[in-house]
Amino acid sequence: MKTSSFLAGLAAAVLCVLPAMAQEPLRASLNSDIRSTQPGGNRDFNTDSVVLHMVEGLVALDERAMPVPMLAEKVDVSPDGRTYTFTLRQGVTFHNGVPLTSAEVLWSLRRYMDPATQWRCLPDLNGRTGLAKVTEMAAPDARTMTVTLEKPAALFLSILARPDCGETGILHPSSVGADGAWIKPVGTGPFMMGEWRRGQFVELDRFDGYVSLPGERDGFAGGKQALVPKVRFVVIPDSSAAKAALLAGNVDVLTDVPSPELPDLRARADVTVLAAPTMGVTGLLMQTRDPLLKDARIRQAIALSLDVPELVSAMIGDDAPANASPLPSASAFRSDAQTGRPARDIAAAKRLLAQAGYRGQTIRMITNRRYPNVYDAAVATQAMAAEAGIKIELEVLDWATQLDRYTRGDYQMMSFIYSPRLDPSLSYEMLSGPKDMQPRKVWEDPQALALIQQSMTATDSAARQRIFDELYKLFMTQVPMIVLYNQPDYLAFRKGVRGAKPWAAGQTRLWNVSRD
Amino acid sequence: MTATYALKRLAMAVPTLLLVAVAVFALLRLVPGDPAQLMLGDAADADQLAALRESMGLNHALPVQFANWLGAALRGDLGHSLANGQAVLPLILERFQVTASIVLLAVALAALIAIPLGTIAAWKQNSALDVAVVGGATLLLSIPSFWLGLLLLLFFGLKLGWVPVVGYVGFGESPWQALLYIVLPVVTLTLIETGVLTRMARSAAIDVLRLEYVAHARSKGLRESTVLRRHVLPNAFAPTLTLLGIVLGNLLGGIAVIETVFTIPGLGRLLVDGIYARDYPVVQGTMLFVAAIYVVVNLLTDLLYPFFDPRVAAE
Repeated sequence: MKTSSFLAGLAAAVLCVLPAMAQEPLRASLNSDIRSTQPGGNRDFNTDSVVLHMVEGLVALDERAMPVPMLAEKVDVSPDGRTYTFTLRQGVTFHNGVPLTSAEVLWSLRRYMDPATQWRCLPDLNGRTGLAKVTEMAAPDARTMTVTLEKPAALFLSILARPDCGETGILHPSSVGADGAWIKPVGTGPFMMGEWRRGQFVELDRFDGYVSLPGERDGFAGGKQALVPKVRFVVIPDSSAAKAALLAGNVDVLTDVPSPELPDLRARADVTVLAAPTMGVTGLLMQTRDPLLKDARIRQAIALSLDVPELVSAMIGDDAPANASPLPSASAFRSDAQTGRPARDIAAAKRLLAQAGYRGQTIRMITNRRYPNVYDAAVATQAMAAEAGIKIELEVLDWATQLDRYTRGDYQMMSFIYSPRLDPSLSYEMLSGPKDMQPRKVWEDPQALALIQQSMTATDSAARQRIFDELYKLFMTQVPMIVLYNQPDYLAFRKGVRGAKPWAAGQTRLWNVSRD
Repeated sequence: MTATYALKRLAMAVPTLLLVAVAVFALLRLVPGDPAQLMLGDAADADQLAALRESMGLNHALPVQFANWLGAALRGDLGHSLANGQAVLPLILERFQVTASIVLLAVALAALIAIPLGTIAAWKQNSALDVAVVGGATLLLSIPSFWLGLLLLLFFGLKLGWVPVVGYVGFGESPWQALLYIVLPVVTLTLIETGVLTRMARSAAIDVLRLEYVAHARSKGLRESTVLRRHVLPNAFAPTLTLLGIVLGNLLGGIAVIETVFTIPGLGRLLVDGIYARDYPVVQGTMLFVAAIYVVVNLLTDLLYPFFDPRVAAE
């Protein structure tokens, strides 16, 4: 009698718990809280990830980080390359049920172009950075939006689609108050704003009125389905706690998996770990104005002293290949002409050092522990270079301090991680420029700068490809930097989670993801 | 008399707080890196950086920045977070509630365990029990809190699955859930502080046990339990109270490591996150608040002291 009562009680308890579990949101970890809910405003990587579940732009990045139509059904470019005409998709509605028209698009773009909005990408579209200058915007009818540029700009659509620009997400005016103050994103994405408990979690609710593009998920574009009623991004700053949370079932998806945790997670049957190379670049910067490192032979010698494939393999295994080019291995413009890298040659390195008159002077290399792979790369470089007689001393700083030294160009060598640049021109631009004006730039060769400028205005893909192949040759000869690899994006998730997948841009996507 | 003393002590705290404000402001500015740069990342160009610094008020001369901040702080406005725009004072108070609920519970439990345990160990000085208590206390205070926290988290959260591994729920929302979320941080802190307090309680009790009035009490034929309860414990408590005040002041200022391990949104994590983000208003405001907490807790300790040691009041 007692046993049967106990079993009945247990069954009742289980029946009570099961529906509760089914209603639990799909939970993914975040290593720090988001900064705001404004697309491209006060933002960081995590902010972009969360916000892009709620807002969508006219164009979005596909799986290879190329801009493709999203809210626009099609994009036409005028023969002079200056006017872009966006024809909007039909049937799309905002989270408040209002249909999307060009009026909201125009309102959104005007808001972004207003300096008061402090949109991150304004300098890229108002001519300040030289990438593009918008001169006119108009909404001739409810389904058409036109944007006119001062001159043709190859990067215009890429800028609009950039995650750090918030995909130039189209918002309903009710996203802001009467005084223009930000309230919350009323966008067109598959999820809408739920609850944000600062320092704890951000919860998003499924948008039942979402109208998906046909087909499969394709980067930030393609078909999007909110397969769960709610998703929750849980803030867990400590990586060990985040791993424990995954194993205990307190989160379903672990983002930003730290590399030391990978072997253990991969060995478990109840966890799946997936990796994909991103567009971010890990490498070794060299100060070309340093009295010692201004001699290209010493920079070449350092490059020759390293067995980069072995170094990369030791750090990340097969998760991403070694890559010598500033263009990410996932880039559509990464051609066969950009794959060569001189093999390790200690004798040749020593010869170059002798010719340059190197006498064992100490080279200081800055690194940090915030990004374990950056630190590991510095340690491995130090050991490998020592075999060629190059003396490298490490200076371990916190990330903010390293960033400050980088911005001021105050370093000899630096083990560094560049955030993803999603257009090949920007991959070169991020490290190139005149140091007198921008001390953070690594490479200031006039020929290279001219080629990069050409790549930004050329709209023909074949012409751009030739430019990037030429740039690669120059880069490998002058060695202003040693590119190691494109850091992989890791995603670990519990058994029963379906559809989670890392990709080139690195941001977490919880649409098309379900849980049994 | 007590009110005058308290007011005097509070007045004396003003220069201390001012000194803290100046020191924190200066030290923060000496550390390389700034919030605008962190926000823009490696893609920041000089113009963007200057514009963002301007909008954050970081382009003014340092004395002007300090005067602006201090002037507002005197009016009760600690500014807004550079990272997310939240008002700093409500943010601090919100986070302090979380930290205080854990710390007060843990310190109360630790005191309830440590004071009797230390007194008994002193009473049985040099016995096996004493050695065990001293050894245990030394072990507990030697264990790094993050390591102990992680072990507890892995065992009770992961292996046994008794408590959630991450997250926090306020007591106002669901007392039972709140308890589940804070039990491990409280246990971690309790264990460590028990080690600290036991040693002090034992040491204080040993001193009292050697005094003549204890011998006198014993010679009157009082039972040992009565001697301990009535004569030793109250008199040995005063030095422990001082330590308790210091511990409380220290912990209320933030238990950053424990809050990070257990993903608790408390004051310590606010401060650490603020430092990493170079969120000057948050760090300055939190440090000022922490200094004020120290002052208040020490004042309360001093005011309570005469209740346990009347000689202090007489002096």
